[in-house]
Amino acid sequence: MQRNVSVRPETSEYSVDGIDLTLIRWMLSLTPAERLQVLQRFVNSVEEIRAQNAGD
Amino acid sequence: MPATDFLAVLRTLTEYGVDFIVVGGVAAVLEGAPISTFDLDIVHFREVENVQRLLRALAAMDACYRLQPERKIRPQSSHLLSAGHQLLITRHGPLDLLGAIGHLRGYEELLEYVNVIKAGPDLSIKVLKLAKLIEVKSETAGEKDLATLPILRRTLEEKGRQ
Repeated sequence: MQRNVSVRPETSEYSVDGIDLTLIRWMLSLTPAERLQVLQRFVNSVEEIRAQNAGD
Repeated sequence: MPATDFLAVLRTLTEYGVDFIVVGGVAAVLEGAPISTFDLDIVHFREVENVQRLLRALAAMDACYRLQPERKIRPQSSHLLSAGHQLLITRHGPLDLLGAIGHLRGYEELLEYVNVIKAGPDLSIKVLKLAKLIEVKSETAGEKDLATLPILRRTLEEKGRQ
């Protein structure tokens, strides 16, 4: 999804090809175990929502 | 930095009575697409009272701009009333507040293209239908939105700077 350019201080939020660098930096700030935990929690949340809607 | 907990963000927004539509990668996954994402994108209703409710919800989640989270820069009502995108980090993980998506499609225009789904025992949320999500993404993003390889390259570059 292309982002609007907003007035925000200092360094760039996006690379020239539109990649969100803030997300990359955020993930890189985590340990490998924490990154795995992030992905696991994501999957857990989605699975919980899907289970709530099973059969819809 | 906090880990992602989509349900916690959705519960907080709902508890504070915020009108919003889930879009982006989480919407795609909830609609059945096998992709992954690490942030939650929502389009919020840009109406004064709703923005006030949203600001209260954001305060409860300790939300600030994630470009420089150490500075704890908070979004203001003027930001949330605009069509711009606010890239935040909360205690429950990243949250993107999008005033409009695609060709400036806001909450009211998208409202007729949502599914209301149960996100928990007492939690229902509006999710943009997949067909509309694809249409909106196609308006602005093109193929780059579908490509994983550029993300991997940029990640490698960032690691090289550390």
